[in-house]
Amino acid sequence: MTRGLSLHDLSVGYGRRTVLSGLELETVPPGSLVAVIGPNAAGKSTLLKAIAGLRPASGRIVLDGEDLTAMAAHRRVRLVGYLPQALPQGTSLVAYEAVLAALRAVRGDGSAEAAIDAVFDQLGLRDLALRRLGEMSGGQRQMVGLAQALVRRPRLLLLDEPTSALDLRWQLTVLETVRAIAARDHSIALLAMHDLNLALRACDLVVVLAHGRLLTAGPPEQAMSPDVLRRAYGIEGRVERCSQGFPIVLSDRAVPRSEPSGSIPP
Amino acid sequence: MTAAPPLARLYAGFVRRRVVLLVALAVALAASFLVDIATGPAALPLRDVVAGLIDRAALPRAQGVILWDVRLPYAAMAVFVGAALGLAGAEMQTVLNNPLASPMTLGVSFAATFGASVAIVLELDLFGLGANVAIAASAFAGAAGATLLIYALSRSVGATKDTVVLFGIAMFFTFNALVSLIQFVANTDALQQIVFWTMGSLARATWGKIDVIAVVLVLCVPLSLRDAWALTALRGGEEQARSFGIPVERLRLTVLLRASLLAAVAVAFAGAIGFIGLVGPHIARLLLGEDHRFYLPGSALAGAVVLSAASIASKLLIPGLIVPIGIVTALVGIPLFMALVLGQRRAP
Repeated sequence: MTRGLSLHDLSVGYGRRTVLSGLELETVPPGSLVAVIGPNAAGKSTLLKAIAGLRPASGRIVLDGEDLTAMAAHRRVRLVGYLPQALPQGTSLVAYEAVLAALRAVRGDGSAEAAIDAVFDQLGLRDLALRRLGEMSGGQRQMVGLAQALVRRPRLLLLDEPTSALDLRWQLTVLETVRAIAARDHSIALLAMHDLNLALRACDLVVVLAHGRLLTAGPPEQAMSPDVLRRAYGIEGRVERCSQGFPIVLSDRAVPRSEPSGSIPP
Repeated sequence: MTAAPPLARLYAGFVRRRVVLLVALAVALAASFLVDIATGPAALPLRDVVAGLIDRAALPRAQGVILWDVRLPYAAMAVFVGAALGLAGAEMQTVLNNPLASPMTLGVSFAATFGASVAIVLELDLFGLGANVAIAASAFAGAAGATLLIYALSRSVGATKDTVVLFGIAMFFTFNALVSLIQFVANTDALQQIVFWTMGSLARATWGKIDVIAVVLVLCVPLSLRDAWALTALRGGEEQARSFGIPVERLRLTVLLRASLLAAVAVAFAGAIGFIGLVGPHIARLLLGEDHRFYLPGSALAGAVVLSAASIASKLLIPGLIVPIGIVTALVGIPLFMALVLGQRRAP
């Protein structure tokens, strides 16, 4: 059995409208952090929802040798954790019971106490355990959402813009925590991200989506070539290293609409 | 340095406080229930009420009749109808993700009134089970129809919270017009009954009606509590709840049908009593949060306390006269509803 995640001819749509078509991704090894990037409406969130089983999809999603699309829902939810982009405001749930509900919602999940203690410690949320979600900042709510996704120790973690509501320190903290969890559990984390520099810095692999296709996938600096930047984002740019050695994307100019951006037709 | 206490122990303390609050609500309900029985045109001191409840023979015959055949059904009806409306409102608010949802604001109560009116005018009798069951069943058909229509409309147009309430207002006026039409064509006896329904009143409480509501509550409460974790998870967001394996659409449908049934039996025997389904859940949310293991029974208890208190007020407002309770709850409920709407607008 090959361990890891791979996609085979994966297509996803909303009704008759196809959003993603024929995605192929070679096996991503356990312990990897994968950034899913692309311009607005490229289908990043849709891809994560399809893998989580929240959108009907055709093709195969293979995790550790098993096809998730053919798997019973109750098994799939134990293997896959998902953090949506938008979390609700104004709820009176406290953080502890939100995470407890994530475990108890599906009957038969025992040993909740130790698992919740562990995930709150890991994410540094202990002080927020009894605070209502409606009284938290967007970033704190996102951390609680992350705790809900992590508490079952899934094999595959799908995080939709996990750092979008966080300040710089928390962005790095979250990504380092996710990396530590992936290394500990030999799990895989797919993160839909807009911040290219954070994606380059934190992730082992970058998957670039554009115009409903998978444009390229590979190690960050290799995937983010000037040609990919032009075709995916319509910019002239390059990746260079800063004085600390971290790769950063420099955008020189937007490609004028009159010039061919080399984009793949939809 | 000692290790931090397990969060489970902290949370256990938190849960204990909620249990205490739930018990306090139950005690408040018991007190309100007794005062409601003791209140009325004929003097019936609280001491006699307790004695008469324990042993009917302890009271003179006339007082025994007042207690057991008039006051007790009236007060018990307030408790059961309040509990049914409170629970129905709480479940509607959760599955529609809308704190303004309730049987009244969504027009479901008037749809049930319409159903009940049809049963009265046509003198329906289902399988020989009597008029009470036929009126309840017809009210349920109206309530369930309205709920499912709002649900289908909301889904088809991707309605926001505000739009759902607007659908409710449309439903309210539609069924109001239909009830008026039935009033227009009804004979005098039926008209008198229908007018009673539209005002909301406990005056026609009987043990037979209370039995029907009690049976529905006994059936619905365990089912509600069985779904408590799923509903709690739903408050954390629909997509995330689905990712936990909760069949959200099925849950929403079953919960809405259950809430329709609860609202329908309440309306069938007490008329369209407004705002209990709105106020009960809000009190429960403030006191107990939204862990549905506490929130759902808390909403039922709070609804029962509020309607029981309104029942006392309805007897005291105008000496010698019992004001229809729907008028009392509307007078108290409308300012509260407005406060909630304005509070929503201020929320981020």
